[in-house]
Amino acid sequence: MKLPARWLLPVLPLVALLGLVLAPLLRLAWEGWSGTQAQDFSLWRLWQDDYLRWRVLWSLAQAAITCVSALLLGLPVAWVLARFEFWGRQGVLRLLMLPFVVPTLVAAMGVLALWGPRGLLGSWLGVDLQDTPWLLLYGNLFFNLCLVVRAGVDALSQVSAQRVAAARTLGATPWRAFWRVEWPAILPWLASSLCLVFLYCFSGFGLALVLGGQRYATIEVEIYTLVAHELKLAEASVLALWMLLLTGGVALAYAAIERRLAAPARLDAIPRRRPQGAGQWLALAAALVVLLFFCAAPLLAIAWRASQAGAPAWAQLLDEETLAALWNTLRFSSLALVAATVLGLLHALAVRRSLIWRAAVFLPFVVSPVTVAFGLLLLYPQWSASLALLVAAYALLAYPFVAKSVAAGLDSLPAQLPQAARTLGATPWRSFWRVSLPLISPALRRGMAFAAATALGEFAVTLFLSRPEWTTLTTLIYQRLGQPGAANMDAALVLACLLMALALLAFMVIEWPATGPQGQFGRPAAAGLPSAPKADLRHA
Amino acid sequence: MQRRTFSSALAFMAITAVTVLWAATATPAQAAEELRVMVHKSFALPKPLLAQFEAESGVKLSLIQAGDAGEMLNKLILTRAHPIADVVFGIDNALLAKAQAAGVLDAHGVAVPSGQPQLGSQVLAVDYSYVTLNYDKAAVAQSGLPLPKSLEDLTQPAYRNWLVVENPATSSPGHAFLLATIAGLGEEKAFDWWAKMRANGLKVSKGWSEAYYTEFSRNGGTRPLVVGYATSPAAEVFFSKEKISESPTANLFLKGGVFRQLEGAALVKGGGQRPAAVQFLQFLRSPPAQQALQTSMWMFPLDAQTPRAEVMRHAPEPASFESLPPELIAQKGSQWVSRWTRVVLK
Repeated sequence: MKLPARWLLPVLPLVALLGLVLAPLLRLAWEGWSGTQAQDFSLWRLWQDDYLRWRVLWSLAQAAITCVSALLLGLPVAWVLARFEFWGRQGVLRLLMLPFVVPTLVAAMGVLALWGPRGLLGSWLGVDLQDTPWLLLYGNLFFNLCLVVRAGVDALSQVSAQRVAAARTLGATPWRAFWRVEWPAILPWLASSLCLVFLYCFSGFGLALVLGGQRYATIEVEIYTLVAHELKLAEASVLALWMLLLTGGVALAYAAIERRLAAPARLDAIPRRRPQGAGQWLALAAALVVLLFFCAAPLLAIAWRASQAGAPAWAQLLDEETLAALWNTLRFSSLALVAATVLGLLHALAVRRSLIWRAAVFLPFVVSPVTVAFGLLLLYPQWSASLALLVAAYALLAYPFVAKSVAAGLDSLPAQLPQAARTLGATPWRSFWRVSLPLISPALRRGMAFAAATALGEFAVTLFLSRPEWTTLTTLIYQRLGQPGAANMDAALVLACLLMALALLAFMVIEWPATGPQGQFGRPAAAGLPSAPKADLRHA
Repeated sequence: MQRRTFSSALAFMAITAVTVLWAATATPAQAAEELRVMVHKSFALPKPLLAQFEAESGVKLSLIQAGDAGEMLNKLILTRAHPIADVVFGIDNALLAKAQAAGVLDAHGVAVPSGQPQLGSQVLAVDYSYVTLNYDKAAVAQSGLPLPKSLEDLTQPAYRNWLVVENPATSSPGHAFLLATIAGLGEEKAFDWWAKMRANGLKVSKGWSEAYYTEFSRNGGTRPLVVGYATSPAAEVFFSKEKISESPTANLFLKGGVFRQLEGAALVKGGGQRPAAVQFLQFLRSPPAQQALQTSMWMFPLDAQTPRAEVMRHAPEPASFESLPPELIAQKGSQWVSRWTRVVLK
């Protein structure tokens, strides 16, 4: 009996998710429950303990507030970036993703260099935002605004021009046209990015602690302490499972929304044009100021402090140690990116109408990283210090971006085109390779860019076993900041600049503009759709 | 057509990347003689020295970094059924009893000169340092206030917002400092002190790096006092931007505020390579390693014969310090941390 090929698609992601995410979590829980310490914990501790309950509620609240702020700020910015053509637009879209790459502690140093008690803006304005929820919110926006803006830009780029035009002809104001035509079309994309923002903030580990102080610690910090320092595995797994339940609920809700709203896009994108009149230029300026204020300023502060570092700190860029770290960063990230792309494509193709699969893509984001890291040790001690496991961890943390992005691309792919290819005699594989893949390539590349950012930024990878010879740029930065001395701090800042430059280069390569006949820089595929695949099919 | 080019380029990229990188990454077949050494994140010895050990002993060293010391021990405990290392470096007097109780170590049998501080029959002591208060000389001078003379002084309104400590639940220096206060003041008085400190603007950071690089007044923060290591003033000179003859920071040794951290290496129960493992323990006690670790790990050498690094003159040792029996730390350590969390954070 021949198995349909599409049944084989989910095998790889399924194995990865079960073997590297769920199994370690359950193994750790089993270790805790079967141990002797199992008596003194309660399944309901999370809700009985005032302190823990407060932390959960606070985590929920700050994540929700961040989502609302990110939407209110990000959507207008995205609209401006999607509708107006201006010099440096592509550059802005690439730069947007940089906050993702910067190590948390360095980002905090950048934010505090501006807003801290002795920061540039803080001392000038006479405010000290350190230890206030404001700074925490600012930090959250710094990391997450880019997710909403990028998703918004891509979504708006595929709104049907004819429908908007029709609405306007029928007398709708631009605002009404936006509300009744554009908004419904972009909602699934925004929902997806907001869901991600929520999950990131909810289980946030680093920045909240540094900027907001220990009062704003999330449950994830509690789990970390219980596992890594106290080895109270039963208690930790109860908390981790509760968190999984909560975040899993969010992911499911999102998947349900997305499935309901998914609709093939029309293929007539609204062309971008140069801003006209003072109002539009003002809107553009305002959008750029928002981005400058929330995303670029801390990075500029880092770059500025690094530029003050002096020659010896910059000379270390040519050190054997730095070059080795650079090489490691390059090869680990590329390997992780390739693996993440394969996993992500397979997962997205397997998704189709399945609610569970859609939600499962968030699994690597929602499980507690420390429980996974320790669970892996228990589960596969013989591989625990192997490079394969480390790279797999990188890939696993990065692949949801690819899967999510491609799934969104597939959702909006008109069914007729692959069908036409099939009618003309193309095999399913050929139809995918020649029609679907080129059409989803912008979505794929956007997903890959975020995946690369994740791999370069190495979220949570410090929890896994490593070796000195595997030192990457990020770990080197943390090593420098693990010792006192002005030279170490300078070195860390310079290395952070190197990491940012590398990331920018990676984004440019991944999202290399498809220089089509129209010469448009990275124009969404939908715009060039009607001609390209047809030509392709003719040759097929 | 360019879309097709993209697909092909993508496939091409993927295939080359995987083959080239994996080939570059895959290590050649390991020689049988490999000694797996688990270390904490602060372990560092010069590469030539390690290479020399490899050449002399005929084994290849495979260092495994496992996070901070507490995290490392827990990883060791979790994998005791299938040990992932032969030797472990970084068990200190605060972790000793926990390691012994978990039964993850073997006796090393290396003879040590009497009169030196020791860590029992399983852990061979290698080096030591003190967790204590560092102060920013410039900021203290600018404040116009005299240095506090006791921990109690720090609870005075004049010293409001002066101190940043690390959370003992997530940081080993933070944990050691908590132990110091309990040893120096007694349990009840210590927690009274912490409660008063909370009221007096005590700041808590996640770890040493966060405290030192975002809160300490020397690095952009506002706190002139930070919980850190007694060797840090020397490191400040060693890692200064320009050559300086005096450290910008100094140690403040107060009663109840100095904890001696004695750390060592041990054989992992169930690990292999016994002769080489013992050789590695002895290597850590050898004069070259004792000399090098001073400025690579910023610890004091345990071997009294080893000359101090020149820069270490900026890091004077305290006349007295606190310590607690390891058994008591193992027994009450996590209770104290929970109580601390209740008193200071909740």
